[in-house]
Amino acid sequence: MNRKLLVLLGPIAVLVMFAATVKMASWLMSREYQQPYGAPTATVDPTPRATGVADEAAAAAKKADETPYAEAEYRAFPVVGSRVAIWAVAQLHLLFAAFVLAVPIFALIVEAIGYKTGDMRYDRLAHEFAKLLSVSFSLTATFGAALTFMLVILYPKFTNYMMHVFSPTFLPYVLLFFAEAFFLYAYYYGWGKFHPLVHLGLGLGLNLVGTAIMLIANAWLTFMMSPNGISSTGAVISVGDAIWNYTWMPINVHRVIANVAFGGSVAAAYAAFKFLQAKSDEERAHYDWMGYIGNFVAIISFLPLPFAGYWLAKEIYAYSQTLGLTMMGGAFSWLFIIQAVLIGNLFLAANYYLWLGMGRVEGRQQIQRVIKYLLIAIVLCFMVWATPRSIIATVSEIRAMGGSAHPVLGFLGVMSAKNTAVNILILTTFMSFLLYRRTGKVASVAWAKKGHAAQLFIFAGVAIFVIFLGVYGYFVEATVRIGLSVPQVLSVLLAMVSISAIDIFLYRRAKTADVRWGKIPAISQYVLIFIAVTFTWLMGLMGYVRSGLRQHWHVYGVIRDRSPDAFTPTLGFATSVVSVTVLAFFLLIGFVFWITSLHDRPDFERRTGARLRGKVSPEFPAATPGT
Amino acid sequence: MKVPHIIRIGALVLATTGFYAYVGQMVPQKEVHPPQEIVLKTDLTTADMVKVGRELMEGKGLCTTCHTFGKTGALRFPDLEGIAVRAKSRIAGLSDVEYLAQSMYEPNVYIVPGFNPGMPAINKPPIGLTDPEILCVIAYLQSLGGTPTVTLQTTHRYLGAAPAEAGAVKK
Repeated sequence: MNRKLLVLLGPIAVLVMFAATVKMASWLMSREYQQPYGAPTATVDPTPRATGVADEAAAAAKKADETPYAEAEYRAFPVVGSRVAIWAVAQLHLLFAAFVLAVPIFALIVEAIGYKTGDMRYDRLAHEFAKLLSVSFSLTATFGAALTFMLVILYPKFTNYMMHVFSPTFLPYVLLFFAEAFFLYAYYYGWGKFHPLVHLGLGLGLNLVGTAIMLIANAWLTFMMSPNGISSTGAVISVGDAIWNYTWMPINVHRVIANVAFGGSVAAAYAAFKFLQAKSDEERAHYDWMGYIGNFVAIISFLPLPFAGYWLAKEIYAYSQTLGLTMMGGAFSWLFIIQAVLIGNLFLAANYYLWLGMGRVEGRQQIQRVIKYLLIAIVLCFMVWATPRSIIATVSEIRAMGGSAHPVLGFLGVMSAKNTAVNILILTTFMSFLLYRRTGKVASVAWAKKGHAAQLFIFAGVAIFVIFLGVYGYFVEATVRIGLSVPQVLSVLLAMVSISAIDIFLYRRAKTADVRWGKIPAISQYVLIFIAVTFTWLMGLMGYVRSGLRQHWHVYGVIRDRSPDAFTPTLGFATSVVSVTVLAFFLLIGFVFWITSLHDRPDFERRTGARLRGKVSPEFPAATPGT
Repeated sequence: MKVPHIIRIGALVLATTGFYAYVGQMVPQKEVHPPQEIVLKTDLTTADMVKVGRELMEGKGLCTTCHTFGKTGALRFPDLEGIAVRAKSRIAGLSDVEYLAQSMYEPNVYIVPGFNPGMPAINKPPIGLTDPEILCVIAYLQSLGGTPTVTLQTTHRYLGAAPAEAGAVKK
């Protein structure tokens, strides 16, 4: 058709359609409403029962009308109760959140190493880590939404108070969540699609936004433990002070480190899962390497964690001695014995994995001779750390001992001994790492002997210094003794930094044996899974103590818990809840692993092509090898 | 028969969590309930107040979480054995009742040499003892190495700083 004619007819058609629409609308508006036809209701004579039912309904309606609206303080969750329901959902949310925050940190670092060195293995590894993110992110958000709704439903008054204090933080939180979704999906789906620096920028954005989200959420939960910026009646004086309360920054630091350690361990467990299912040597080599990196990240992050824990505990004591003493000397003191068992297991398992890993490298025999001494040191420290101050005993046993503390072993149950044990434990694990690192290497620098001697001198000197301070702590006043943990920690950190620095220069141009990735016993992979389960359980336990420390307070000293769950449960009950939550987490993370592994699975048509060949229609041709 | 890895992994996860739950059952089991709200009778004798004071120190007051009785050595907080004698001369110009009251209402005004500040104000949350309850605690402390003298009518300069009890019926 003629183009000019079309241009002319277009506006005319629009005008005609507009006029028709106006006409139809006017006609419809002018019509009167008529009741639709309905068949007449059958009439029945009222029976006495029908009259009674009608009266009851009328009375119920009248009563409902007369009852004034009352705001509920609590509502009950069926079967398990509100506290356990909130506990489990919050724990699952936090475990997934920790994972989603941690994985981008080391994925970005690994990707950056790959970009800098040009080694594509790192890029593939970082991508493999990132694959775990998208499903985990969805689960984090789902549990977060469930937690929010459950708080509103089950603890409306408390939730209302928190909204009152922190209302300015909620909108930024939601906006940051949108930003995180943008960065996360752009980072994952944009892999290999952008310039590497743009992609690294997306990863950096993801990390910054994720950290900001965590900082906001930490403000809420730390306020509950150490409220600040409010009057004695709970009225808000300063939202800034409420956010920056006593325990906010220590929790921020503690959580970032713990999240990385936890994320590394779960990523290592994923690698172990894939290693055990691997069909080729190439796959085994890749997943062995991935497991090693994940575990390396976990343990390296884990080493400074006790120091961050000291800081947090110090701030808890600074805020309230009562709170601090409830934690370490009161209802929760035995929880730290359970913690000692967990951490002792973590150190043992991590060292065992490293020792097994030495088998990948030629020339390991010389270094493996040292292992038995390291094992003795770790077991001794473990035993000291797990020694309780007071023990369960019968009345006659207590009389025989002269108190609830054992006359000899009781001396190992105090902080002087425990601080010393944990510092030596950290130092020993660090030495295991160092030995693993130098397996199969021969230092070729001229000052090699002196370098080794200096490292040994620092190690022995710091070990003796730490033990000396531990013993000295028994003979001084409380004010002095508390301060001794600082030089202990600083000396261990100094040893780790200085020995590492010497090692880097010592082995700079070292003769190196080949590392045979994939040549490691299968049991090592079960060790990685054991480490991940132990880390998860430890997070659940420490989450419980942080939250349970408030005892019968929602907000410590401000909003009292008057619900039926206002008591502190036994440790047996608490550890059962933690165990069930950890099992639920591993069921869900197993689902994440499975979904992620589908990514590498051949398409259905390719897998079944051979079987279907000859049975398919021409529209669905059988796949041929190589397609 | 070779057990599939997935079964082994499941068994390992189950066994590990089961083991830690078992460790949790092996430590002492104690439920801690919130302190019960009590209302003091107005006609308590000094001897009654000593008994109530002891109960408060071991329960609602949480005093024994930190303080000891008759212990020596590297203590974290002052031992309270013989406090009745020391309280009379600890601060010049303050009677034992005034000193003990100050140590509970304003605990950081005077710190015993060799110790760190850290005791919370007992009349405020989370502990929140009432004025009559604090008088009972003073009565008990006076009994540690001395003779209690306070009654519920005893006055000191901090009275009114804690929530007073209205009515009073039981105990």
